Amino acid sequence: METSYETIVIGGGVVGNGIAFHLSERYKEGVLVLDKKYPMSGTSGSTQAWVWVHNKTPSWYAEFNMYSAELYPYLSKKIGDVEYKRTGGLSPFFNESDREKAKQLAESYRKIGIKIKVLSREKVLEKEPFMNPEVAGATYSSIDGNVNPFRLIDMYMRASKKNGVHYSTYNKVTEIQKQDGKYIVVSDQATYVCKNLILAGGTWSRELGEMLGIKIPVNQLRGQILVSEPLKPFLNFTISGLRQANNGEVLMGYSMEQAGFNRATTLDVIQETANMAVRYVPALGKAKIVRAFSGIRAMPEDGFPILGKVPGFENLYVAATHSGVTLSPLIGTLITELILDGETSIPIDRYSLSRFG
Amino acid sequence: MDKTTIICRCEEISYEEVEEVIEHGGRTFDDVKRLTRCGMGPCQAKICTGLVANIIHEHTALPLSEIPLQRMRMPLSPIKLEILATNSTAFSAVKSVLDEVEIEDGKVR
Repeated sequence: METSYETIVIGGGVVGNGIAFHLSERYKEGVLVLDKKYPMSGTSGSTQAWVWVHNKTPSWYAEFNMYSAELYPYLSKKIGDVEYKRTGGLSPFFNESDREKAKQLAESYRKIGIKIKVLSREKVLEKEPFMNPEVAGATYSSIDGNVNPFRLIDMYMRASKKNGVHYSTYNKVTEIQKQDGKYIVVSDQATYVCKNLILAGGTWSRELGEMLGIKIPVNQLRGQILVSEPLKPFLNFTISGLRQANNGEVLMGYSMEQAGFNRATTLDVIQETANMAVRYVPALGKAKIVRAFSGIRAMPEDGFPILGKVPGFENLYVAATHSGVTLSPLIGTLITELILDGETSIPIDRYSLSRFG
Repeated sequence: MDKTTIICRCEEISYEEVEEVIEHGGRTFDDVKRLTRCGMGPCQAKICTGLVANIIHEHTALPLSEIPLQRMRMPLSPIKLEILATNSTAFSAVKSVLDEVEIEDGKVR
């Protein structure tokens, strides 16, 4: 078994896989991806997988998300059908008083090239006829959409393997040491040596950092989602709260709770989610719910991605973020540039781990 | 069972498709589920659980006792959304994306 690699990526989620794939496009030196379980068993497999831009804040972060969303059509050409759909994104509001805020958002973001329309009630209902007629309006942008997260990771892995990337799954990393300018990675199955090490542990980033005495301040945030039976196609857009998948299922939910790694679903949040769904789309009341699931999201302490070189550690990189699905193609591209060219095409200084002191 | 035997009737997943996941390193029912949709349909794996466990066992030699069951989730049997709804419009854990946008002096913060 090979144990010496040029680059090891710890974490086979949507972020780690995005990096591995983009690396594999440009260099055929040994790349290994390690996953403690099987990819998709964590955050990346328990998400609605919106590719979402238009009302993320502040504007520089929205802009960063936009660049990544722009890469999706090209990515799906390269790795295969990931059911990416640029449906356009709709964020409804029910109080007329929110219109002013929506307009200010649209005006601010026009300057950075994110086109947002503030829709009247009539326009919302024209676009999305099943929306609650009591809606006051919505913000809308054509940049938003969604992707099938399972297809995305599966296709990333297939494309990466084809390009020579090795994967080792059910292989938890237990220890990392720095020795003679190399990294020694001890895992359940073997001990590996590499030059470049990328920490893409998502919700487990803090634990990974601690193995090298580095603080990576990422916390956990639970989200619960309901899944309906397959329904005929009736929702046209990705609505911030629910979306219809290719097979007709509607995924509903936008909840946040601090529950550590507890992936239970709870009746109170299921009920709240049901209330949100029928408020947005009343006809959903008659749809049957087949399943509830919950996912633990990675949430950096200040909410923004932690990307790039780890200060004080040569050839050590970190990529830990919320919104991994949206940001994956861009993070994969930028970390690859950083490793191979020493600089990135879009500045990422703002996202350095050093900001936490 | 031959390669084309249907393992998951709800999603029409064949033996061969389950086998492919195991060849790619999958070791649990949930690995198979996420990659193929096996067990994701209306019956929520009430038929295919044992069949998939057997296929994993045959291909990996893992004892059946070490192959975890799938994660069972509410509501176990399909139920109308309106039964779960309480008609309350007060939200705490569930957020609105637009509410999270903060405006200061006419600008996005």
